[in-house]
Amino acid sequence: MDEDDPKEYRWETGYEKTWEAIKEDDEGFLEASIADIIQRAKRKRQSKKVYGTKLGMMRHLYVILDCSESMSSQDLKPTRLICSLKLLEGFMEEFFDQNPISQIGVIIMHNKRAEKIMNLAGNARKHIKSLKNLNKTTLVGEPSLQNGLEMALKSLKSLPTHASREILIIMGSLTTCDPSDINSTIESLKKEGIRCSVIGLAAEVYICKLLADKTGGVYNVILDDSHFKDLLYQQIDPPPAACGQESNLIKMGFPHQMAVEGTEEPLTMCMCHVDSIDEGSKLTTGGYYCPQCYSKYCELPVECRACGLTLVSAPHLARSYHHLFPAMNYKEFAYENQAEICSGCQKQFTENEKEVYKCPNCNNYFCIDCDIFVHETLHTCPGCATNSSTFQLTQTG
Amino acid sequence: MKMNNIELPAEQTPEFSSVDETSLIVVIFDSNPGQKLLRDNPHILTHCLDSIIAFSNSHLMQKAQNKLAVMACHSKKSEFIFPGSGKPLDVRQIDGQYETFTLVEKTIKQNLAKHLAGESPMLNTESLLAGAIAMALCYIARLQRSKSPGCMLNSRILVVTGSSDSAMQYMNYMNVFFTAQKQNVVIDVCALDQHLSLLQQGCDITGGLYLKIPQLQGLLQYLLWVFLPEPPIRQKLVLPPPAKVDYRAACFCHRELIDIGYVCSVCLSIFCKFSPICTTCHTVFKIPPLAVKAKKKKIKL
Ligand SMILES: [Zn+2]
Ligand SMILES: [Zn+2]
Ligand SMILES: [Zn+2]
Repeated sequence: MDEDDPKEYRWETGYEKTWEAIKEDDEGFLEASIADIIQRAKRKRQSKKVYGTKLGMMRHLYVILDCSESMSSQDLKPTRLICSLKLLEGFMEEFFDQNPISQIGVIIMHNKRAEKIMNLAGNARKHIKSLKNLNKTTLVGEPSLQNGLEMALKSLKSLPTHASREILIIMGSLTTCDPSDINSTIESLKKEGIRCSVIGLAAEVYICKLLADKTGGVYNVILDDSHFKDLLYQQIDPPPAACGQESNLIKMGFPHQMAVEGTEEPLTMCMCHVDSIDEGSKLTTGGYYCPQCYSKYCELPVECRACGLTLVSAPHLARSYHHLFPAMNYKEFAYENQAEICSGCQKQFTENEKEVYKCPNCNNYFCIDCDIFVHETLHTCPGCATNSSTFQLTQTG
Repeated sequence: MKMNNIELPAEQTPEFSSVDETSLIVVIFDSNPGQKLLRDNPHILTHCLDSIIAFSNSHLMQKAQNKLAVMACHSKKSEFIFPGSGKPLDVRQIDGQYETFTLVEKTIKQNLAKHLAGESPMLNTESLLAGAIAMALCYIARLQRSKSPGCMLNSRILVVTGSSDSAMQYMNYMNVFFTAQKQNVVIDVCALDQHLSLLQQGCDITGGLYLKIPQLQGLLQYLLWVFLPEPPIRQKLVLPPPAKVDYRAACFCHRELIDIGYVCSVCLSIFCKFSPICTTCHTVFKIPPLAVKAKKKKIKL
């Protein structure tokens, strides 16, 4: 999300307005204007985020990827499939970064069949590895949307009701070849409260639109690869908790690394690699011990294989807190020497400054770059956080 | 100005061959007069400051293109005392001292004096280190944006403090740690007086070093020995072994460390016992899971 590719945000500002905004700056260069448009688009997107809604943080998402013949089309470079896989890699990494105790599964559709590539799991590295292997998949026949959905439905149905359950379909084909009436599948998905979103790579397909509408998901058709990326990455923000989803208090374990003063840790076997074929079980010192049954794991988060307790580290949970306690949105003002420097990056404001951004909590002024950085990445207002009278205030609190 | 004090085999350090590499240190100095250390003995401030200035100059001396920023952190305000806003001071060479060093020393001392003069007489508030780190990250992000393409900027933050870290700043701490990790900014912490368990987590998350110095007299030695070497070189040096980091959760109700707890499925707040309503997001929960212990298994048709 950090690349500043100018064309990335063109569709957002709208083509018709773009030319109005492009003005030559003092030296007659256009670059500055273009950068300006991109930044404005970013700001607009930020200010549109609605805060205060409840979020489904324990997300369970099935990605259903079309691997039919239509995915070999070269309208995306180098092919639709390769482009989708590349984007999905980045997506997985970012997804787990923002939804730390969530799980993703992967299903592919080809030759009228559905095939599960990856069960629901919460490890970005393993997912990326299995995506890499999909490169060589033969792209044959038609997809069956119904078979793909049924497979995901079967797995999601068995999950506890407090979990947020979602399906994301990436569809290249304009047709689907289904064994029976797909409407009944859509009805069961709706009944289970499973949110289905579709990203179409070609043109609008009625059944996809219907599926998204009925289940509370979103349906979009891409314009180009950067639009594709943007649509995909929109799925990273947790959706408002699905209606009817039960809330629960879940028992969790917070393992700490063994710390017995002055003693050498013994070599022990970890449970994560016990039956892994390609890596094999390792004898290691250190690791995380389940506080309930003392099984050892070399990575968190994980569900204890022996006693079923979900094991996480506290910072893992804290990674998501910014969704609940976001930094206040800044207000835009025309620059009239309100401040000499930006309270964040210390940039000297000059005559050329058009707008400055004021935090409604701490009343400090910031430059546009800091406005974006604070709300997109940092999630803490540097002005608020350095003053004892404001450092605990947030949008919701 | 180059100091070849560490000789390493060339093939192991390709990242040091490039001349376009700049190393930036942002030192965050906790000069809050409210901290116990300074309340007990105000002279310590000068001692610490002198050590930090000597450390800063050593960093600048290592490579001509190295960069430095120094911040003062209090409870009401944190400020850049070097380079500081406005025009740089006018310094002439004194006693053959390299002008840059004089500039660093004079600017830091003058700006810190100004900063301290603006401090209110309230002495018992905590230093908002998480906020100062947030400012440092904005500053680093600007330098990253404005550097010329092809240049490498390696940035790190060194926190020097005698305060304790409190769970009040928990969210802000976590936000700055994860941001630093994302931006490849290393956070080092030199604790002068008390053990800092939250900041220690920050060092662990960002790959920095945490050290609680055994005695204040040796501050400069510790700074030069432990914190001056750039992170990639550190692996080759004999440094204090990393301490085990306590990653247990602090429950939202009592701020106590727990190893088994209950987490709200809506907002991920952590509680040490079951309660029927979440105090963070006000969600009402159904009956404790213990009462329905025999989980109903869905039977496949
Ligand atoms: Zn700024
Ligand atoms: Zn603020
Ligand atoms: Zn809650």
